[in-house]
Amino acid sequence: MDLTIAILVTVVGASTPILIAALGELVVERSGVLNLGVEGMMLLGAIAGFVVQFHTGNHYLALICGAAAGMAASLIFGFLTLSLSANQTATGLALTIFGTGFSALAGASYSARPVTLMSPIFPELAAHPVLRVIFGYSFPAYFAIFMVFAIWFFLKRTRAGLILRAVGENDLSAHSIGYSVIKVRYFAVMFGGAMAGIAGACFPLTLTPQWAEGMTAGRGWIAVALVVFASWRPFRLLGGAYLFGLVMTMELYAKAGGGPLSAIPSELWAALPYIATIAVLVLISLRRDASTNAPACLGKPFMPSN
Amino acid sequence: MMRYRLEKRPEPSKLMLYGTPVAAVVLTMILGCLLFSAIGYNGLRAVQEIFLTPLTNPYKWQDLGIKAAPLIIIGTGLSVAYRANVWNIGAEGQYIIGALAATGVALMTWGMSGWWILPLMAIAGMAAGMAYASVPAFLKTRLNVNEILTSLMLTYASVQLIYYLIRGPWKDPMGIGFPQSRLFSEAARLPNIIPGTIVHLGVPIAVIVALIAWFVMSKTVFGYRMRVVGAAPHAARYGGFSETKTIWLAMLVSGGLAGLAGMLEVAGPFQRMVPGFPTNYGFTAIIVAFLGRLNPLGVIVAGVVLAITFVGGQVAQTTIGLPDEATGIFQAMMLFLLLAGDILVRYRIRRVSPEASVGAA
Repeated sequence: MDLTIAILVTVVGASTPILIAALGELVVERSGVLNLGVEGMMLLGAIAGFVVQFHTGNHYLALICGAAAGMAASLIFGFLTLSLSANQTATGLALTIFGTGFSALAGASYSARPVTLMSPIFPELAAHPVLRVIFGYSFPAYFAIFMVFAIWFFLKRTRAGLILRAVGENDLSAHSIGYSVIKVRYFAVMFGGAMAGIAGACFPLTLTPQWAEGMTAGRGWIAVALVVFASWRPFRLLGGAYLFGLVMTMELYAKAGGGPLSAIPSELWAALPYIATIAVLVLISLRRDASTNAPACLGKPFMPSN
Repeated sequence: MMRYRLEKRPEPSKLMLYGTPVAAVVLTMILGCLLFSAIGYNGLRAVQEIFLTPLTNPYKWQDLGIKAAPLIIIGTGLSVAYRANVWNIGAEGQYIIGALAATGVALMTWGMSGWWILPLMAIAGMAAGMAYASVPAFLKTRLNVNEILTSLMLTYASVQLIYYLIRGPWKDPMGIGFPQSRLFSEAARLPNIIPGTIVHLGVPIAVIVALIAWFVMSKTVFGYRMRVVGAAPHAARYGGFSETKTIWLAMLVSGGLAGLAGMLEVAGPFQRMVPGFPTNYGFTAIIVAFLGRLNPLGVIVAGVVLAITFVGGQVAQTTIGLPDEATGIFQAMMLFLLLAGDILVRYRIRRVSPEASVGAA
């Protein structure tokens, strides 16, 4: 029982950044834009969050600055792909290369300096042996779950969400009935950037209390894959992210539990999330409705003057 | 007041197609100078050391050659794949697996001598790179799984494979605990082609690979096929070019060349497998392919330009204390500016007076 609870708690912690980043990317993709720069924006959010926490000690300010860093980076992407209709795949990759380099440069003098992790928002209940499964987390874990509901509601039940989906499904029609496709996509891209920034800031603030170069270790790419896995639906994203959290933390239990699993080399455990991502993409492609839910304009530049 | 408007060109501009990469490099220098001045470095010196010193200092030319070689080889393969709209971004993984296969051959033949060892390593490297690239190719063609994600995930997995092998089965018995493989025997190391320098056989091979690729891409049916499938998929299907076959070819060529680059790198500069082997050449080669306009001849030039930033980055690190990471920022800026400039290839900026623009709308 104790082990199960410990497992669940770690899983939620490990899943939270992926879930937040994936939710942002889901909204971006629903508007018809494919931003492959999630990993880069996460790293920028991580270093911004780290630096602010290191100097001010304020975790919430750190999260906000992480969001701002991610959003600023997403504006570079937005300007190139939306205003200049540059190739989205290439620009996203460039953003990841930029974010990796810039965060490494900014963080060069901060390596091996510790910060403090965010504490649970319900300190008394977090100490409870059982209830900590529900109440044992710091702010980002609840924020992530709240955003699942909020984004679902936004996309399904609000006018703005409807417009966003219309822009992603058929940009020309949306344009001809008077919506500004580019403006809607800018907002979506900025939202995605802010979410990726928060997700990145979660790494130094909730997982490992320090800065390490490339500390997001491909989680941004896993978030992109999860959006496909979830077939662009927020609630499936929730399940998918927790499933990945389980895969990512499996090594801990295998090592703790002993038995044959503990003989598996740690490198294989480290490679497992990436292999699982491929497996999941394969499984999802086997389903008949595999790509039917993909936004029809995903990745296509919009040039009304054509 | 004058206003500006974008107007679609009847045909993409050749001048802009080849002019924008040059402009991107020049603008990177200017913006890089401003950016690094803004964050407290001597921006002018930084740009000078990164972009000019490697060219003006003859001692650095050999470094340029050996840095450019893997970038040109991988970039050539990627330019072929991207031409066909096949987004292999896992070249880094194919490069690593190619190097691991070559290391395997070198370790199996350890202590032996013979001219056949290096060619065997090259074949093993290429075959392994192709095999690794065939996973995304298979998943893409059979199940329509996005090749960007699969090839990238395999890259992360390949890094773990290095760690496993050099900590376990391939660990150097003489390594006093260091996780690294044995030093390759003489017969498994690339010969130097210019005595007294570090320039190895990989440098001329890179140029030859790019020239062959240029010939194939511009003069043969294969090249025509790749270009048509990328530029006009519908027309290609109508013309009888199978998309599946094209994806396979694009993946195998880019994976095989990345594998070859991995073999040359491990048998050349490294001469053993170490944890620090992945140096992101596979990712930088993406910039090389774009900067070279997906044309193998352009890739040679772009490979040298990116090599300059690598070598210059090291120079700037020792002379003005600019962190190594600055190189990556310059490289990313170059790609950003290049992509931003792409619009000028397809559109021209027209100056219009307000009345005219109302009339046109």
